[in-house]
Amino acid sequence: MNRLMAWIDERLPVSNFVKNHLSQYYAPKNFNFFYYFGALAIFIFILQIVTGIFLTINYKPDAAQAFASVEYIMRDVEWGWLIRYMHSTGASFFFIIIYLHMFRAMMYGSYKNPRELLWIFGMLIFVLLMAEAFMGYLLPWGQMSYWGAQVIISLFGAIPFIGESLALWIRGDYVISDATLNRFFAFHVIALPLLLFALIYLHLAALHTTGSNNPDGIEIKEHKDENGIPLDGIPFHPYYTVKDVFGLSFFLIIFAFIVFFLPELGGYFLEKDNFVPANPLKTPEHIVPVWYFTPFYAILRAIPDKFGGVLAMGLAIFVLFLLPWIDRCSVKSMRYRSRIYKILLTFFAISFVGLGYIGMNPVTPILTWIGRLFTLIYFGFFIALYFISPKEKTKKVPDRVTTHE
Amino acid sequence: MNKYILILPFIFYSSLVGASANPELQTVLIDLNNKASLQRGAKIFMNNCFGCHSLKYQRYVKFIDHLSLDQETIETNLIFTTDRNGKPTKIGSLMLNAVNPDHSKESFGITPPDLTLIARSRGPDWLYTFLMSFYQDESRPFGVNNKLYPNISMPHVLWWMEGIKKPINSDLSEFEYVKKGNMTEIEYKQSTTDLVNFLTYVSEPAQLDRYRIGFWVMIFLVIFSFVAFLLKIEYWKDID
Repeated sequence: MNRLMAWIDERLPVSNFVKNHLSQYYAPKNFNFFYYFGALAIFIFILQIVTGIFLTINYKPDAAQAFASVEYIMRDVEWGWLIRYMHSTGASFFFIIIYLHMFRAMMYGSYKNPRELLWIFGMLIFVLLMAEAFMGYLLPWGQMSYWGAQVIISLFGAIPFIGESLALWIRGDYVISDATLNRFFAFHVIALPLLLFALIYLHLAALHTTGSNNPDGIEIKEHKDENGIPLDGIPFHPYYTVKDVFGLSFFLIIFAFIVFFLPELGGYFLEKDNFVPANPLKTPEHIVPVWYFTPFYAILRAIPDKFGGVLAMGLAIFVLFLLPWIDRCSVKSMRYRSRIYKILLTFFAISFVGLGYIGMNPVTPILTWIGRLFTLIYFGFFIALYFISPKEKTKKVPDRVTTHE
Repeated sequence: MNKYILILPFIFYSSLVGASANPELQTVLIDLNNKASLQRGAKIFMNNCFGCHSLKYQRYVKFIDHLSLDQETIETNLIFTTDRNGKPTKIGSLMLNAVNPDHSKESFGITPPDLTLIARSRGPDWLYTFLMSFYQDESRPFGVNNKLYPNISMPHVLWWMEGIKKPINSDLSEFEYVKKGNMTEIEYKQSTTDLVNFLTYVSEPAQLDRYRIGFWVMIFLVIFSFVAFLLKIEYWKDID
C-alpha cells in the first residue's frame, strides 16, 4: 500500500493535496451552526448533478413530450419518483442553504479584507445558481414553468432600445416554445453546471488561500506556534469532516422528510399549476415564481415602472457584490460591532423575508405598499451601512477565539 | 415579531376576500391503503368518466400491484378499448380512450381534459366538492350547472347515482332533489369519495411507496445522526 502511494505520489501529488487541504489544513476551532452550510452546499451541488444525470436519461427536451416524459419518470422509471423529488427538493434546499451561507458571511464579516474575491466568486455562484434554477424550472413544461419563464424573459423586453430583440434572442422565438425549451435544457445540463463547477473550484481555492473566517472575525494565522501552526486552528480532517458528517446527517433527516412526506411542500417546492401541461393559450390566474425568487420579484413589483422595476431588481443583486467596499468598518464580526449595525442587519433580514412573502402573494394595494417599505429598507441597509460603518463604535476584538462548541 | 404584526392585517384581509370569491370546499378523507375503495373508484371511473376523460400517463398494468387486481379482472372489467387493429388494448398500455378530440370539441365546446393529474393540480377536496355541486339549471345546454365551477360544459354524468337537485333559493345555499338517483345521499357521498380516492392515487402512484419507504429512511437517518453525533463528541474531546 505504501509503495503504491509512493508510486502515485511521484507522478501525482495526491498525498500533498490531502495534507494541504484536509489533514494539515487548519480551520478555526470556533465554528458554530452557520458554518455547516458551506459543506452542505457542496453536498447539494453533487446531489443535483447525480440526480440530474439520472433524470436526463429519461427526460425528453421536446415541447410535445417533455411533460409526459416527467410523468413517465414519476410512474414507470424504477425509483424515478425518488430521483425527481430529490432533484426538485434539492433545488429549493440549495437556495435555503445558500441564503443562510450568505447571511453567515454578513453576520461575521467574511467578505472583508482579505476575502473580497472569495465573496465575489460566491456571488457569481449565486447569480449562476439563479439562472440554473430558472432554466431548470422550465423543463417539466407545466403551466407555471411556461408562464413563469414567459414573465421573467419578458422583463428583458423592458430594457430600452435592445430589450425586445434581447428577449427574442433569449427565447429563440416570439413566445416560449420548443426552441426555448431546447436551449434551456442545454444551458441547464451542460453550460451552467460546468461554469458552476469552475466557480466553486475558484471559491474553494480562494478560501484555502486566505483560510476561513470565524464567528469572532479574527485571523487565526496571526497567532502561530513554533511549528507555524495557528494556535486556534485544528486540522480540517478529522475534526471538521466528522463534524460535517453529523451536520449532513441531521440535514438529511429534514431533507428526507420533505422528499418522502411533503415533496410539494404545500405548493412552495412544486406548484400545483405545474401539474397542468403548458398551454400557451391559457394564462393561469396568478403567476408566481418559485419561492426563492420571490424577494427579488417583490422588489420588481414594488416599482410602478416596468424598466425601473427591472433595474431595481438587478441592483438588489448587484449591490451585494459591492458589499466588501460598502461596509467600511474594520471589525469583522457583529459580535464586536455596534448596536446600530445589529439593528440594521436585523431590519435587512426582516425585509428580505418580508419581500419573499409579498412576492408569493397576489398584488393587493396594502401588500404593494408594504413591499415598497421593505424595498426601501433593503436598499437603505446598504446606504446606511456605507455612511455608518467607518464611524461605528466597536467593542475590543479579542486576540484569540473565544469559544467553541 | 415586528414582521408578524405587519403581516397579520393582510392575512385577515386576504382570507376575507378569498372566502367570498370561492365557496368553501368540502373535505374528503383520502385513504390510499383502502384497496376496496380504490377498486370501487376505478370501477366508477372506467364506467362513467373514461368515455371522455383519458388517464394518459397511467398504465392499466399498475392496477395489479397497486389495486390488488389480477390481470384477468382488469382485462375483462376495466379495459373497454381496442388498438388500431381492433384487438383489445394490451394491459401494459397507457390508459388512452377512443374519443376523437374534434368530435368532443364539437359536442361540448371543449375537449374533455385528461384527468391523470387532476387531483394534484386541483386537490382532492376540490374534486369532491365539484362532484357534489351539480344542480338543475335549464338555461345550460345539458340542463345542469355546477356551483363550484359555474357554467361548466360538462353534463352531470353521475346523475343516475345522485339524482338531480334544484336550488331552493337564488344564492344556491339550499337544494332539494327533483329526480331520484339509485343511491341514497350517503351512498353517493361514499361513491364520490371512492372516485376521488382513486383519482388521488392515479395522480401520484408513488404515494403508495414513499410513505412506507420514507418511514424506514427516517428511522435509519435518526440512528445514523445519533452515531455521527457520538463520533463527533469523541473526536472533539481533544480540542480545548
